[in-house]
Amino acid sequence: MRMAKTVNDFTINIATANGTGSQSANLILLHSMFEMGVPVSGKNLFPSNISGLPTWFIIRASDEGYQAPGDTTHVQVVMNKDTWLADVEKAEAGTIIIHNMDVKLPVERDDCVVLGMPMTKMARSINPRLARMIANMYYVGALAETLGIDQNAINSAVAQQFKGKDKAIELNLQAISEGREYARENWDCDIGYAIEARDKDPNTFLIEGNEAAALGCIFGGINMLSWYPITPSSSLAEALIAWLPKLRQADDGGATCAVIQAEDELAAAGMVVGAGWAGGRGMTCTSGPGISLMSEFIGLAYFAEVPGVIWDINRVGPSTGLPTRTQQGDLNLLYEASHGDTQHIVLIPGTVDECFEFGWRAFDVAEQFQTLVFGFSDLDLGMNRWATAGFEYPDQKLDRGKVIRTQEQLDAIENFGRYRDVDGDGIPYRTLPGSGLEPILYRGTGHDEDGIYSEDPGIYAATVARLKRKIEGARDLLPAPILREENDKQVGIIYYGSVENTITEIDDILESTTGLKVSTCRVRALPYHSEVERFVAEYDKVIVLEINRDGQLYGILRKELPVEHLSKLHSVAFSDGIPPRARVYAEMILKTLTSDTTEVIA
Amino acid sequence: MSMRQIQLNVIDLPKADYTGGPSSLCPGCGHDQISNVIIQAAWENGIAPETIAKMSGIGCSSKTPAYFLGKSHGFNTVHGRMPSVTTGANMVNKDLAFLGVSGDGDTASIGIGQFVHAIRRNLNMVYIIENNGVYGLTKGQYSATVERGSKKKKGEVNENPPIDLCKMAINLGCGFVARSFSGSKKQLTALLRAALSHRGMAVIDVISPCVTFANNDESYRSYNYVKTNEEELHAVDYIPHFTPIEEVEIPEGEFDDIELFDGSTLRLETLGGDHDPSDAVAALAAVHDAEQNDKHVTGLLYYDSKMKTADEALGLTETPLVDLPEEQLRPSKVALDELNQSFRT
Ligand SMILES: Cc1ncc(C[n+]2csc(CCOP(=O)(O)OP(=O)(O)O)c2C)c(N)n1
Ligand code: SF4
Ligand SMILES: [Mg+2]
Repeated sequence: MRMAKTVNDFTINIATANGTGSQSANLILLHSMFEMGVPVSGKNLFPSNISGLPTWFIIRASDEGYQAPGDTTHVQVVMNKDTWLADVEKAEAGTIIIHNMDVKLPVERDDCVVLGMPMTKMARSINPRLARMIANMYYVGALAETLGIDQNAINSAVAQQFKGKDKAIELNLQAISEGREYARENWDCDIGYAIEARDKDPNTFLIEGNEAAALGCIFGGINMLSWYPITPSSSLAEALIAWLPKLRQADDGGATCAVIQAEDELAAAGMVVGAGWAGGRGMTCTSGPGISLMSEFIGLAYFAEVPGVIWDINRVGPSTGLPTRTQQGDLNLLYEASHGDTQHIVLIPGTVDECFEFGWRAFDVAEQFQTLVFGFSDLDLGMNRWATAGFEYPDQKLDRGKVIRTQEQLDAIENFGRYRDVDGDGIPYRTLPGSGLEPILYRGTGHDEDGIYSEDPGIYAATVARLKRKIEGARDLLPAPILREENDKQVGIIYYGSVENTITEIDDILESTTGLKVSTCRVRALPYHSEVERFVAEYDKVIVLEINRDGQLYGILRKELPVEHLSKLHSVAFSDGIPPRARVYAEMILKTLTSDTTEVIA
Repeated sequence: MSMRQIQLNVIDLPKADYTGGPSSLCPGCGHDQISNVIIQAAWENGIAPETIAKMSGIGCSSKTPAYFLGKSHGFNTVHGRMPSVTTGANMVNKDLAFLGVSGDGDTASIGIGQFVHAIRRNLNMVYIIENNGVYGLTKGQYSATVERGSKKKKGEVNENPPIDLCKMAINLGCGFVARSFSGSKKQLTALLRAALSHRGMAVIDVISPCVTFANNDESYRSYNYVKTNEEELHAVDYIPHFTPIEEVEIPEGEFDDIELFDGSTLRLETLGGDHDPSDAVAALAAVHDAEQNDKHVTGLLYYDSKMKTADEALGLTETPLVDLPEEQLRPSKVALDELNQSFRT
């Protein structure tokens, strides 16, 4: 019998087999805790096939708001016979192990609290046909009972999960209450962990980053979506397909955004270029393998100066890699995609709110700079559910960039040429097909300021110099970094994207173990904002923290920062496919700081 | 000062408004003949140049949009990918008239996937393949359309079977499939004018000799060879919608009239046998027979106007998407508030 309960600060790991319906059970647990106002995060570690491979769902409840999976599992649910022995074995001493007795495999752990329930048998007694799926609801009931999850919260989570399907709601609620009952009657229900209600901001809800980005695109006036299915980006396209008819129908009932499932990623990228060339807002979403295929078109868009948007939802590379695991391994690829000297604007959301915001903003930036813009997210941010208090309406009108639409506008420009830098910002004016104004033949070959084919060395050099200037000019117009600065300017950490979900915990570990107070700078776009350089300049040591092997942002910073700052920069980069665990990175940071000759930590 | 009589088309434009820059291709190249036909057909049809979008991939053939329709926007894209760029542009501006030119390398090798899928979607465009059996721009390697037994100027006789783009298009259900020869100006002009009057994918595979690398007599795509081995399915005559058909002289022999999308007519006059262009199997047989006999069959092989185009199938709103105002592109603040609220409950 335990003395004190640990409240709202533990991790539950649920081991199931893919395709058994456990996802519904897990989301019901997640949503019911969220409903009670408990800061909670859920991570789905799923395999790259449809049915049968092991899946783990990790729920972390944390009053501190920590969203990483957590370094220790406190409650382990074992349902999957294939991983059973390993799941049982790797539990730390003291873990609560809840298992399905009908799997008939041993749980030989005297040092753990082992609680069994005949989940399949009970499920069979209420519905033999669906027993395999419903069995999952028994662990929901068991956890609800032992952790003290409010039944009202469960009811509303079930209703949300099975929207409108009364039969399913009834059946699942019955299973949950039987699970509760069994636990109450057969188990010692004080397992030492508890969920306690907190004041919930009534505005918050949970949503996946991909759905948020899709909605952002809809509010950004997307005209054409071309896509080729690939995990983990498909759900972005599918969310667009689901929401477009509801949010973007014209008065005549017609669609205002064309959706095309392309034959491959080359075609998907070509369609984006075509849409942008014709004056529309085209977007495609993909993952690393798709970006590799799109490279030739990315260079064309850069050189011919055609706006377009590509979302990369990063998964583990190289090659097909670990298709259902997360990484930040594509940053370099995006920033300099395609042959020759190129440089692309990359917007990097770290929250679902930013997925929405950059969803619409990417189109504005693309048209403003007449170039291809990447949205860079990853599987963790894109496919897991994160809290938001609601999306904010765009704070500016659509920016359609320097498009000449009338003869008067054209006449107002002296010496018009498609690629002439009239304003000195490197961004030329363009006319659109169909307008009859200054038609030109766009091309990926060398061209002069009027768009005429040219191999002239001076003209080529001037063109690529202007392109460089154009993208450089974007730096301080792109989303600025998010800074959290301490007075003590010893150590700064630069990070980006979904590391946002782990940074607070890393920060707390560093402070609690060494007393070190670090400042942080979350980069939200490339080319990076001048504030990033200012940040580096002010600190003695700067760690660049990222989820990849080589330190890709670190490399970019080393290339672009003034040389006098370079000795301050240290890379902490690691990726194994699992969403970042705070302790792993905190330890790497400490090692990096202490291995250096200059004494940082007093 | 004497007023010189300049001939104008039905929208009062001189032919000069349809020409392009000077060609940089080899003198005598078949592709230049095709450019001239494009200029002639667009002018005669009275299409406003600004409504045309010229699309191409990479190759000598794909360079030609610089040499015709100088008042039209165009896009010389990347190798083999003209169809996807055209698709994207068509989706956001369905009112543009898309005229694509490509080569046999561009279409039958690197770009064959995009060719196939553009046909499958029935993309609303005219797709001309300037087919010389070689990669002209990279100095004369065989392309995948070269016939078995044909030999280019340098190198061995080709032993691989050809990819016949017309057969392929027919098999994929393309609604307008024709073959012609760059040297058959009258036939090609009529076919191209008909293609421009068609709604949906119109494929015209044009034999277009490469004078530099494959114009020797042993090449099945040399001028001499095609002239002596061309078999016309029918004599073609195009009657535009703006010319009352009653005023056109009725041919003496048998003929078939095909009414096109814009009200124009393609008149097919029977020459020897009779070919029914609504019969896909007959069309395939005609190509097959010609191939067996080392001949080139030309004319309108297959025609079917019933299919929905890619943009029609998607149920797009009436206004081209590029012309939609901001209110139609960005849902209101109220819509977002409601959306947020729907997620909360
Ligand atoms: C990705 C890529 N691969 C190769 C090339 C080189 N290349 C340019 S044109 C061409 C072949 C063109 O042949 P075809 O389409 O038949 O045109 P033609 O010159 O015969 O008119 C090739 C292989 C290229 N431009 N891009
Ligand atoms: S190389 Fe052949 S295809 Fe190219 S321009 Fe010369 S003749 Fe024409
Ligand atoms: Mg060729």
